Amino acid sequence: MSTPLFIRTVSLRVRLTLALVLAFLLIFADHRLGAMQQARMFLNSVISPVQYLAVMPEQSLDNLVYRLQSRRSLIAENDRLKRDMLDLQGQLQRFEFLALENDRLRTLLASDERRERLRMVAEVIAVDSDPFTHQVVVNKGTRHGVYIGQPVIDAEGVVGQVVDVGVITARVILLTDQSHAIPTRAQASGIRVIAQGVGETNTLELMHVPHSTELQVGDLLMSSGLGGVFPEGYPVARITAIIRDESLPFAQVRATPVANLDRIRMLLLLWESDSEYQPLNGDATESANASDLPEERR
Amino acid sequence: MLGRILQRTIILITFVLALILAVMPMSLAIAPWRPEWPLLVLVYWIIALPHRVNIGYAAGVGLAVDVLLGSTLGFHTAAYAIVAYPAARYYSRIRNFSLSQQALLVMVLVFVARAIVYIFEHYLNNAPLMWHYFWPALSSALFWPWVFLMLRKVRRKFLVR
Repeated sequence: MSTPLFIRTVSLRVRLTLALVLAFLLIFADHRLGAMQQARMFLNSVISPVQYLAVMPEQSLDNLVYRLQSRRSLIAENDRLKRDMLDLQGQLQRFEFLALENDRLRTLLASDERRERLRMVAEVIAVDSDPFTHQVVVNKGTRHGVYIGQPVIDAEGVVGQVVDVGVITARVILLTDQSHAIPTRAQASGIRVIAQGVGETNTLELMHVPHSTELQVGDLLMSSGLGGVFPEGYPVARITAIIRDESLPFAQVRATPVANLDRIRMLLLLWESDSEYQPLNGDATESANASDLPEERR
Repeated sequence: MLGRILQRTIILITFVLALILAVMPMSLAIAPWRPEWPLLVLVYWIIALPHRVNIGYAAGVGLAVDVLLGSTLGFHTAAYAIVAYPAARYYSRIRNFSLSQQALLVMVLVFVARAIVYIFEHYLNNAPLMWHYFWPALSSALFWPWVFLMLRKVRRKFLVR
């Protein structure tokens, strides 16, 4: 035990000042300049083992439960899946026909044909414990070709977009985060509105809707593709309430996201087939529309 | 020399465990009560080894929390550095506190750290006031005696000083 009385070389106050200066520089660079993407990517990659370790107990428990499932429940599940599969294949046949027809009509109208999309399944490995943000972490990163601004959907509809990537993880901001907004179009009336998150689970607010709007409760909002981030035509939310308070400049319209954002597990990452970003090292699948179209069209 | 590296590794492992606990999935009902594990471990090491673990470690752990939680970089860095200061300054006095007195102090420290993060979030990201954000101050205080005793055991076993 040889701790001298005055071992401290730099006084605590100086250390505190240094740490605070560093912290404020970080806040300024990250918040005001948005200049930290490279550093964030590096830090996310460094910290990702912690994230994987944190979900390991839960995952192994799930695994155990899965292994202990009885034969009968597995058979029942298999039956159900087969039925679903048949159902979906039936729908898909019609869908492929419609997609072909749609493409032919679009060429007749001389508009752009729909571009193909690639997708990859990602699993949510962490939901944020920070109540100020609505984000999840998924188990795919730059190694799989994930990029910042990439749209993310699930089986029901749009979930959000990628805000941060590490090598093997990516952080997805959800539609309901208060800093997120998505351009949408009402399916029935074609009215364009921007749906913004308010920081509450399962609530979006539609911005700048006039009192005279034709929007109705129950209307489905689809992504309009206008912002350039989300592809067109994916379901986003359903209108739940329209409050026309004439003392306010705009009607207050609330909507609930179609995707179950509070219990998402499996997500789909989307790539455009002709963009500079492409999926890597994974089992990416092409979307089914218009696979062998060129011959068909001639 | 080797002993020193081992000791540093022990300290780092406790911090990594705390970070894992900080992001481990919990059921939504009890998630708001999750104690602020990284800060608990930080306070322990500061009052145990104030000459080795102080504001530098605090800033480092804070930055790791920022990255893990996806908040703007620097929020927790600043908050942890600020609450580490009184702990490092008055460590000798805190050591003489009883466990319950220390728990009260931990409650105040966690509350202050969260208040600092909340102020940043409020002014920079328009976060609304959520009282349940401050509940972990209570649960952290409840868990302090266990954290303290466990980490002391670890420290004595591996002769970290």
